[in-house]
Amino acid sequence: MKLIKNILHSVRPLFEEGGKLRAMLPVYQAADNFFFSHVEETTCAPYGRDPIDIKRYMTLVIVALMPAFLASLYFFGPRVLLLMLVSYVAGGLIEVLFAIVRKEEINEGFLVTGFIFPLILPPGIPLWMVALGSIFGVLVGKEIFGGTGRNLFNAALVGRCFLAFAYPARMTATWIAPGPEKWLQLPGSLAASAPDAVTLATPLGLAKSGVMTAPLDLLVGNISGCVGETSALAILIGGVILLLTGVANWRTMAGGMASMTLLAWVLNLIWPAQVAPPGFQLLAGGWMFGIVFMATDPVTGPATLSAKWAYGILIGTLTVLIRSYSGFVEGTMFAILFGNICAPLMDEVVIRLRIRRCAAERACS
Amino acid sequence: MEAFTGLTAIFFAAIFTNNILLTNYLGMCSFLGVSREVKTSIGLGAAVVFTMAFTSALNWLVYYYVLIPMHLGHFRFIVFIIVIAAFVQVVEMIIERVSEPLYNALGIFLPLITVNCAILGVCLFMLIRDYTFAESFIYGFGSGIGWMLAILAMAGIRQNMKRSKVPKGLEGPGITLIIAGIMALAFMGFSGMINI
Repeated sequence: MKLIKNILHSVRPLFEEGGKLRAMLPVYQAADNFFFSHVEETTCAPYGRDPIDIKRYMTLVIVALMPAFLASLYFFGPRVLLLMLVSYVAGGLIEVLFAIVRKEEINEGFLVTGFIFPLILPPGIPLWMVALGSIFGVLVGKEIFGGTGRNLFNAALVGRCFLAFAYPARMTATWIAPGPEKWLQLPGSLAASAPDAVTLATPLGLAKSGVMTAPLDLLVGNISGCVGETSALAILIGGVILLLTGVANWRTMAGGMASMTLLAWVLNLIWPAQVAPPGFQLLAGGWMFGIVFMATDPVTGPATLSAKWAYGILIGTLTVLIRSYSGFVEGTMFAILFGNICAPLMDEVVIRLRIRRCAAERACS
Repeated sequence: MEAFTGLTAIFFAAIFTNNILLTNYLGMCSFLGVSREVKTSIGLGAAVVFTMAFTSALNWLVYYYVLIPMHLGHFRFIVFIIVIAAFVQVVEMIIERVSEPLYNALGIFLPLITVNCAILGVCLFMLIRDYTFAESFIYGFGSGIGWMLAILAMAGIRQNMKRSKVPKGLEGPGITLIIAGIMALAFMGFSGMINI
């Protein structure tokens, strides 16, 4: 640590006012912040009750993502690391460029986006697509709206949605059968189309043709699917971490889970051939990952508490409907993106209603 | 019962799977111009719902009872526009006389949407798809609701974006079109759900 500190200290003049690399100051600050958290202690009132900042927020999300990440490493092998590296480098490049142009600090928002993005992609996806999607997501989904904290849509989902429509065949045919043996087949298992890689349809795809996957496989994660969505159990552990630390709001999750269960139960009773039962819907596909890690994003979701309920319910309902009746196999991505669209309007309605109620109470008293 | 399910399907398809704004990109000009605030877009949206529902029904009558018997089907573009403009003018006058608050809410937007291409688009789609009278009305009504939903969501988003640091060259219509594009991506998820 001392060595890094000395290096950083010795190059500091280059980045200061008048230095040769003044324009690259954000890069320096990011390095400084990464190794030595910027601590400023308050010496007089008012004191912060809890000094939570973007950095701690994002770090907690990364911690919560760890179980799902480790599960995906186990099931899909070392290639996951490669996807993650490409996602970070490509998206990070855009992030750094914008920080330099805007003369801002590079903040930790991208840590989570860059981490989540490869987790919602098929494991056999070509690396250039990961780079393209990451760049598109960060650029169009986030930076042009003003960067971290100002994005209207989940940047990772924008990138994924772009890839899904631009390269539909590659996004739906690159599923790999899970299995830890991939660690023994290095470096062959790193390639996109490894000769001995077995492709396997996802549980939702199989369900369309009437083949149901065993619930235990869905829970543990021994199934085909996107990188991070494989193990429902690991995602749930992450969800508990998010809820305990207060990073995610339980209302969105509860609303989503409840509406999905209820709607799938009712529709399954009426049209059992078309709509899968609620237990399967909850565990299969990207639903668990989406509702735990993406729908609870405080930036793209609504801010008021009652709107959070409505937001969760909307996402759960749409996911069931799109999965069952549309031409797509999975609907979580569209449902959350649609929720992102409606979130500001929901807040507006809730606030208006509250103002009206307050005005009415005042008029009565 | 069958007619009823058919009408419901058309209604929901017009809102979600075939949203006139986000899948056909019609009615873009007023969508870009008047989506800055939720309050004004409610007014404009209501005016569009009202006009679309009634002009599509009116134009259906005009087309099948006037133009077709007189073998003037090729004049439909001009006639439809005249009907829409006349309808809007008459309604505006009536509303002004009958209800002051309604006029204040809707009245100023009515002349604006005379030239909204989504209204003409709905009238032309109803001919292409061979709708009956009831179906045309429901289709017009649903399309209006879909248009209103889109502009309301956009207004909510733009209100929320007031303090965003959008790059200079993208301010205004540029960023709005990009948002509309992402909205359209999300609406693509509904495709194939209901066919009309």
